[in-house]
Amino acid sequence: MTNIDELVETLARDAAVVRPAPHPFMMSVKWMGAAAIYLVLTLVVTGLRPDLMSKLHDPWFVAEIAALSAIFIATSLSAALLSFPDLHQKRWVAFAPAFLLALFLLIIFFSWNADNPPAPLPPDTYECTTCIVLVALLPAAWIFFSMRKYASTHYRLAGGIALLSALSIGALWLRLHELNNSIAHVIEWHYLPMIGFGILGLWLGRVILKW
Amino acid sequence: MTGKNENFEALMQQALKGDMRAYAALLRETSRFLRPFLAKRLNSAAEVDDLMQEILISIHKARHTYDGGRPYKPWAYAIARFRLRDHLRAHYADHLRHAVELSGVENGLSESVTNSAMTYESIRKEIEKLPPRQAAILKMMHQEGSTAREVAERIGMKESAVKVAAHRAYRILRNKLERP
Repeated sequence: MTNIDELVETLARDAAVVRPAPHPFMMSVKWMGAAAIYLVLTLVVTGLRPDLMSKLHDPWFVAEIAALSAIFIATSLSAALLSFPDLHQKRWVAFAPAFLLALFLLIIFFSWNADNPPAPLPPDTYECTTCIVLVALLPAAWIFFSMRKYASTHYRLAGGIALLSALSIGALWLRLHELNNSIAHVIEWHYLPMIGFGILGLWLGRVILKW
Repeated sequence: MTGKNENFEALMQQALKGDMRAYAALLRETSRFLRPFLAKRLNSAAEVDDLMQEILISIHKARHTYDGGRPYKPWAYAIARFRLRDHLRAHYADHLRHAVELSGVENGLSESVTNSAMTYESIRKEIEKLPPRQAAILKMMHQEGSTAREVAERIGMKESAVKVAAHRAYRILRNKLERP
């Protein structure tokens, strides 16, 4: 009997009933539902920006919020798919956040052009980044904890996408909370750090999701 | 897949319900179709066996991520590629850590395999006893005079992999030839 035959026999003896993982779309719906509740609760506690109703008539603000929400949805779906070794054989959905990030950057670029004359910069700087990260901590911990139960073969990418998903919750919260019309500030202290932390997620993925 | 077996998806569905025989059959068939995939990418049968064991254990650990509702082979290949990548990364990292410049290795031989006193021809028999790929690389480098880059292009390997294989061959030869 070869080593392989022996191993097969050993593994087969261990073949207890196993409950298959839920469909990744169901997993991501669960994550998104929980994140939406968390976002609403956080906004209830911290309050909405006072000029939100008038900002909803600004097409670039609406486009930015819609694109950020789309990034959150796409990264949630992608993170769920990346938890499976074969990406649940839906490779194109797993890589969809790349297209949405490009669209988001385009919207931000046009929004920046439309910010003329530029709105005054708010006094806050790194405080915004810190708040986004703090709000994102809980969703990030939950997503990583959920993903660890599965078997990602793209653990670095999965970590980056998971962190981006959590940070998009934080960024959405701050855009709906902070009284600020300066797109330059938003780029510098909200979105660039968010992308930077996404890169940190690649490392986190290696540490947390490798199996 | 042999005709006597049911399809992989059905076997896995039965395995997930605790059917040991279906699971054993599935793992055996999996190792059968993965073997040529690994053999094409690794040097020795022992390496293929070692990695195959790791892959089967990984399939066992990750079986809850397969529900029987999608083709089995892409799922199994995804795990196999993942473990192969890990294995090669570790393998080359280890070899590069211990790699020595070829000139240094050749200088370190008590008598160089390429000098007039010890030519390729004079140790041909020892070279032929090496694993086929290493023997072919030494033949191209020392009998035909090809560089590592030329050998790499001819046999479809990376230049660094050719150097590592040559290094291993030199080490084996040195051990044999220096033995009293």
